[in-house]
Amino acid sequence: MAASGALLLSGCGAGSAPSKGGSSGSAEDLELVLSVFAAPRSLDPAQLDGGTQAYVWGAIYDTLLFRDEDGEFQPNAAESWEVSDDALTITFKIRKGMTFSNGEPVDAAAVKSNMDRNAATPGQEQEKFVNVSSVEAPDDHTVVVNFSAPDPAFLYNMAVDGGVISDPSTVDAERTPTDPVGSGPYVLNTDKTVNGSTYVLERRDDYWNVDAYPFETIEVKVLADRTAGLNALMSGQVDFASVQANELNQVESSGRFNVVEVQGTSTAYLNLADRDGTKIPALGDVRVRRAINYAFDREGIVEKLMFGSGVPAVQPFSLKSDGYNPDLEGAYTYDPEKARELLAEAGYADGFTVTMPSTVASQSFEPTITQSLGDIGITVEWVPVPAQNTTAAFANGDYPMYWFTMGSNPTPRDVDNFLNSATQNPFGWSSPELEALLAEADVTIDEDERAGVYQELSAYMVDQALFAPVFYINTNNVTAEDVKFIGDGTNNFTSIRNFVPAG
Amino acid sequence: MLTYILRRLGIGILLAVLVTFITFWMLSFSFDGIAGGILGPASSPERIDALQEEMGLNRPILLQYGEWLFHAVQGDFGISYFTSEPVVSAVLDRLSVTLSIVLVALLLSVIVSVVLGVLAASRAGVIDKTAQGIALLGLIFPNLLIAIVLVLVLSLNLKLLPATGFVPFAEDPLGWVRSITIPVIVLVINGISNMMAQVRGTMVGELQSDYIRTLRSRGIPTGAIVYKHALRNAAAPALIVLSLEFIQMFGGALIIENVFALPGFGSFAFNSALQGDIPVIMGVTVFSTLLVVSVNLVTDLINGWLNPKARIY
Repeated sequence: MAASGALLLSGCGAGSAPSKGGSSGSAEDLELVLSVFAAPRSLDPAQLDGGTQAYVWGAIYDTLLFRDEDGEFQPNAAESWEVSDDALTITFKIRKGMTFSNGEPVDAAAVKSNMDRNAATPGQEQEKFVNVSSVEAPDDHTVVVNFSAPDPAFLYNMAVDGGVISDPSTVDAERTPTDPVGSGPYVLNTDKTVNGSTYVLERRDDYWNVDAYPFETIEVKVLADRTAGLNALMSGQVDFASVQANELNQVESSGRFNVVEVQGTSTAYLNLADRDGTKIPALGDVRVRRAINYAFDREGIVEKLMFGSGVPAVQPFSLKSDGYNPDLEGAYTYDPEKARELLAEAGYADGFTVTMPSTVASQSFEPTITQSLGDIGITVEWVPVPAQNTTAAFANGDYPMYWFTMGSNPTPRDVDNFLNSATQNPFGWSSPELEALLAEADVTIDEDERAGVYQELSAYMVDQALFAPVFYINTNNVTAEDVKFIGDGTNNFTSIRNFVPAG
Repeated sequence: MLTYILRRLGIGILLAVLVTFITFWMLSFSFDGIAGGILGPASSPERIDALQEEMGLNRPILLQYGEWLFHAVQGDFGISYFTSEPVVSAVLDRLSVTLSIVLVALLLSVIVSVVLGVLAASRAGVIDKTAQGIALLGLIFPNLLIAIVLVLVLSLNLKLLPATGFVPFAEDPLGWVRSITIPVIVLVINGISNMMAQVRGTMVGELQSDYIRTLRSRGIPTGAIVYKHALRNAAAPALIVLSLEFIQMFGGALIIENVFALPGFGSFAFNSALQGDIPVIMGVTVFSTLLVVSVNLVTDLINGWLNPKARIY
């Protein structure tokens, strides 16, 4: 274990960090305090979600696979895995000698039980097992997953929330949502944990891969307010916060922090969902959808609205994913003149009016969207939608187009999110070309070959202007001097393994 | 008096039923979103419908409300849709954080307001001007601004106090004091600006009234007149301001809790409302209604004790 710089790691960067909690034993007791914006939801394996809540459950649970910083799959709880030639069977070999934190062994039966439970329990994970027809555990350390249709996203899911292994004997107990039993590197210290506010995780010294986790204690603090997060960081209460671009100056000028800007952690776009023109006939015309794509001054928006902390985007797929097609850059420049011509060609020389939902995510961009579309003759009317109704409002097909921010994912998951999900394809749009490309991707097992198909798919989505992407959002990861954030966005999973002691 | 208290409590419970029903009814407009929220943005419409059905959110509102009420009167408020925490313990955990700040702030506000208010009214002059100046400042500057400035100065620059977080009293009493100091100062500044003006105003009125002149003419010392007679009569209106102040501090805790990242009642209520976490919102509604009802009841009782004329029982 890295012992240098360890003394400072308990967050005393400012000299007087109060109430850091945790036992201050030997100098090697490294402590990491992370701040996140939202509290984790239920820690029940079937209800897990991505994002920063993964800092908590990712510490408690092992996942079958692990994706490294280069985006390559690595063995984790599964020592090896094999995809059959028809992509309809995946066989995992489970590592021997692993135990849950209550001492029960981790075996094939436990893995099977988790998969069966995820598939049967309504929750965030259910959708990820929709193509699984059966799971078998022929011996103690072999799990065979059979698919009704090829599912390229499955392996990715096994490296994140879909692949967690919980102890089947306690998973249905009352403790699971707040204090589950997993086989991961940490256990929750329930005495020091305050649900919804502070989560204290202590490392298991009998964990099989303990060397990959240099921190003895990890504390996750929920600081919903950005200013609170920044204050906690500046005063040394936390070792990590994600900081908005307009506040970076303050952090950088102090010289006490490491800043790592990760490009394109999410994509912000207008979803032109009504591609058949059911609600707004104009959107059924590809020329209109292209016109909308020509309406945005992407560079200007990134510069002015995002304070430079973004990248102009014309395709939905994330920057570092297989499906990102570099040839598409510049496909839609800022050209309102051309946009108006396209609209006129499509018979909408006088423009049209569209109603869009005003959501938490859209609010700060609404004036820009209204103006950009107004310039080419499209009038936008915003209807306020309460936060808890947003998902339903999209999924019900209430709105022909809407602003959305989608977290970046590996392409197979991006495909599901952008093209198949209820919130992103509420009108159930498809086309023979799209179906053909998706089918081809599904049966292409070689990753490089499949990347080619995905890039073709991206080109098709851009050409047909299914969306009007505007920019990728960057994340500024700020850590205290003695902690380093590794990762460049290739692996977009928010893992505690992204943090290492500096030096 | 007992019947009076029981009657008031009975009305309070009826009020809670009414308020929770209205809350439930208003929530019902967004029942559509709840299943989708639980399943996440990647789920299919069929799955959302199925869960909606399973959760019984498609049934008539009255039936659903009746079912909730039936369990609630037995003390079963259910579990959170999103965190699966039992509602009662979750609400009480957050309530204790908020109350430990609000009650301390209230107590300090009372002491400062009474001392300053009485001094201002009885001495006038510079003290009066200063006291009024302080009250004015508290009214001019919003909580949020004061909070941000105090954090900047006391936490970030001077590094005297933690910028965020809450330490339970039972865990570390000194840590608790440090963690609530800035939030309490913020609330007190606002609290005294309202309460002190009230104390000063009524005290000025009382001190000019006939019975004070009579007392003076009988040679009773000024101290006794001010504290024993005038203050007792001036206390009733101040007490009402105090109870309003308590409710306002409680309601306004959200802002303070957010700035200082305190795991309190306000931010808890806010977040559950955003998610549409029905059992939690309902629990929050019940507890806050009962809290307001009890505070008002206690205020009326103390008022009656202070001033028998004001007794309504």
